[in-house]
Amino acid sequence: MASLAWRERGLSGAEEQELVERARSKDVEAAEELLARHERAVFLACRHLLPRDEDVEAAVQETFLRALRGLDRYGGEGSFASWLVAIAVNLCRDRLRRRRLVPFVPLELGAEDRLDPVAVLPAPGPDPERVAMARQAAALMRREVTRLPRRQREAFALRFFVGMDLEGIASVLRVDVGTVKTHLHRAVHRVRAAVAEAMP
Amino acid sequence: MTSWHLTDEEFDRLLIGEDLPPERAAHAEQCVLCRKRRQDFLAAVEVARGDDPDEATCASVRSAALETWSGSRIRPARWWLAAAAAVLLLVLVPLAYRSVAPRPSVNAEAVLEEVDAVLARDPLTAVAPEELVEVVTPVVEVSGERSAS
Repeated sequence: MASLAWRERGLSGAEEQELVERARSKDVEAAEELLARHERAVFLACRHLLPRDEDVEAAVQETFLRALRGLDRYGGEGSFASWLVAIAVNLCRDRLRRRRLVPFVPLELGAEDRLDPVAVLPAPGPDPERVAMARQAAALMRREVTRLPRRQREAFALRFFVGMDLEGIASVLRVDVGTVKTHLHRAVHRVRAAVAEAMP
Repeated sequence: MTSWHLTDEEFDRLLIGEDLPPERAAHAEQCVLCRKRRQDFLAAVEVARGDDPDEATCASVRSAALETWSGSRIRPARWWLAAAAAVLLLVLVPLAYRSVAPRPSVNAEAVLEEVDAVLARDPLTAVAPEELVEVVTPVVEVSGERSAS
């Protein structure tokens, strides 16, 4: 699953730890490098854990700020990426709680999620039929993911949209790997069934 | 390669990232139908994930967070430090003022002269009420009739 590999700009753990130390001593350049390395993961986590009408950029910015202010609390026992994504997940939970949307119920489906004929028109490119089916399946997948219980939704989003491995997800959700697998099995079972409607 | 295709359970395990028994993993790699099934699911994931955030948006969000963070660095890290400093200031400023403010000079010689003068006149009247003075030192009146006889 190369396309879902954890995408980081390659630096060793020691180099990253050094960046963290410099950022702790208020080195702005080091702090910026840390954020830049992991911002994609934070963006994707916020995008898929918040309702569509939430301001994802504001959530990402707040995540960064919480992380920078809490750098002293990062003990280095897990990866910095997991620590940062855990802050993003907690922030998304806070926002959902504030909106009284736990368990999550989408306020409104996005335009791309409506299964009207226009949404499934073939796009230019190779094998337009497969592309159209993938679009329809994606819409069904997004809709089904929003209906999952919170833990399952978080595990699914971190695994498939952010691209984290099982250990990373366990670290973010503060559960053991076995629990992550249980959540993922239940989530994938439901999502796969929904996607199968579009891709028999 | 075993002939039967992946079960739903095996397919889920494959997607999640769990290991399959070697012969089933080999089937998953070699079977066209099982590979297509997996690719279809991952294609839907890719589309559902959406585009990566563009660099301009990332840079803007990053710099806004860094600006707020670096701007707040000069503020006291803890609110109670600021409160403690304010209390200390309130205590120390009056003390310092007292120690620095000039005191009125006292002319000891003049004071002593005044005390001496009072004591010379009548020490008791200087410190006690009039009634008490009368009781302690009654005035002796000398009548004219008695003196005449």
